[in-house]
Amino acid sequence: MSDSECESATEYTSLMDAHVAPVRTESVAERKRKPQNSLEPRGDTAEDDHQENGLVSHAPTDAPAGAPATGNPSDITEWPLEEEEELKYGAKHVIKLFVPVSLCMLVVVATISSVTFYTTKDIYLVYTPFHEESPDTSTKVWNALANSLILMAVIVVMTVLLIILYKYRCYKIIHGWLILSSLMLLFIFAYLYLEEVLRAYNVPMDYITLAIMMWNFGVVGMICIHWQGPLRLQQAYLIFVAALMALVFIKYLPEWTTWVVLGVISVWDLVAVLTPKGPLRILVETAQERNEQIFPALIYSSTVIYTLINMASSDEPKPTSSTTPATTSTCTTTAATGSCHAPTCPTPNREGDTESGFSHEWILNHEENAARRQREIREASNGQQRDPEYRTFPQQQQQQQIEMDDEERGVKLGLGDFIFYSVLVGKASSYGDWNTTLACFVAILIGLCLTLLLLAIFKKALPALPISITFGLIFYFATREIVKPFADSLASEQVFI
Amino acid sequence: MDLSKMKNDKKLYLCRWYYRAGFAFLPFLWCVNAVWFFAEAFRKPPYEEQREIRKYVVMSGIGTIIWTAALTTWITVFQLYRAEWGETGDWISFIIPTGIP
Repeated sequence: MSDSECESATEYTSLMDAHVAPVRTESVAERKRKPQNSLEPRGDTAEDDHQENGLVSHAPTDAPAGAPATGNPSDITEWPLEEEEELKYGAKHVIKLFVPVSLCMLVVVATISSVTFYTTKDIYLVYTPFHEESPDTSTKVWNALANSLILMAVIVVMTVLLIILYKYRCYKIIHGWLILSSLMLLFIFAYLYLEEVLRAYNVPMDYITLAIMMWNFGVVGMICIHWQGPLRLQQAYLIFVAALMALVFIKYLPEWTTWVVLGVISVWDLVAVLTPKGPLRILVETAQERNEQIFPALIYSSTVIYTLINMASSDEPKPTSSTTPATTSTCTTTAATGSCHAPTCPTPNREGDTESGFSHEWILNHEENAARRQREIREASNGQQRDPEYRTFPQQQQQQQIEMDDEERGVKLGLGDFIFYSVLVGKASSYGDWNTTLACFVAILIGLCLTLLLLAIFKKALPALPISITFGLIFYFATREIVKPFADSLASEQVFI
Repeated sequence: MDLSKMKNDKKLYLCRWYYRAGFAFLPFLWCVNAVWFFAEAFRKPPYEEQREIRKYVVMSGIGTIIWTAALTTWITVFQLYRAEWGETGDWISFIIPTGIP
């Protein structure tokens, strides 16, 4: 028995540290084994049960893998249940994420199709010096490539900057940066947006009303995003901000550059989140190490609890104003103890959004576990004994923990993901073809589902852009080049399938 | 932010903060305050700070209503008499609707 125990414990631990260790492969086999283990004699049945529900106890992560927690057979028993529960939560959270993502895309598509301002090309971002004006295809191609590489470089630089700032604990600067960008988004861009919408619908408005509206909208937004406000409102603001950002991209990036940027960004997302030295990964790991919450900017979280939000932003390219707000995100943490923090990764810049695009969807679980572990450790050390598996806490605490668990779990999606999803769908809709728009929409949601599925399997931060954007691009070009001509000719020949 | 996880004194503080900040021409903040704390003030079993929270919620609600009324009146007046005011009307207009060509 001890062998298998050891093994599974190791596995377990590695899971908890999932961001470091890539998944357990043999989990299936393990799982089969576990139920048997549960039959093993254990002293503290009642407690174990609690833990099972709450998914509470894990071996402390800090303990060297393999060594520690293992000793206890009951540890193992928690597994199957936990697993199941995670998957269940996963399914629920898929839906929870679908709604905001769809809303964001809806805002963008509705705006694109009713306000011509966002589809006319006149000015471009500073970061895209080549305007693809030549009729020659090859020139356009290299223009698009050069533009997107420049943009990419800016994003990389911003990300690295953010990480350096974070590493050296310059929180003030980071927060200032985030606040500034959200300020810009909420006031300047919202103002431009309002102006264009009113103009498109030909609605007269006076400056007095305008001033009151903008003032209220902006200030309440800042309060909700950076301080405390109702979760719903905060989420609504985040979605709106993401949609605004996406509109800015659609408007100010040259035609083909947009498509190339989407591709490049998803590759960057992949690299930044998954490579061992990827900036986002470093960020997350540092935050976990410090046991603190990342400035929660940049992330949309499906759950509540303590939500701190910030906007991340970036100063980047805004055509006009020079800075682009980046993304915002929310982090969820558990209120309970200060210890919790969800390692979410914020990604900074707007383009950065891109970065933020990394959706760090963390299974909260993971984070929570971390938090919990900390708490447990604390409690354990206060209280009775410190045994490796902190299983003996007073029941009350356990219950509390369980309660929290329910609420705390959630999936987080970087605002950058929202932005780029919306850019793709918005761009597709800007050609006025609803087939392609719908195809892209569905493709992105499917990609998101797959990403969430992978999240449940791997339990570590995953980039949300690559799968969705790849699907989206494939569907877009396939629909436009193949399905649409086909459907058109079918229609003109009066053939019905 | 989840109210149910907050301590009572914290709630009171927040509610009061929102109420006071609303005086900076922020009727929307009052509106948020009134809606957000409504359940807290009227639905929850009584607790110590509830009376005060209730007071702020009611005041915020009243403020919101007054603001809404004032703003609606102003907008209606503006829309109706915009053309008659001539130059002044144009001067305060943010968007002047164009005719249909």
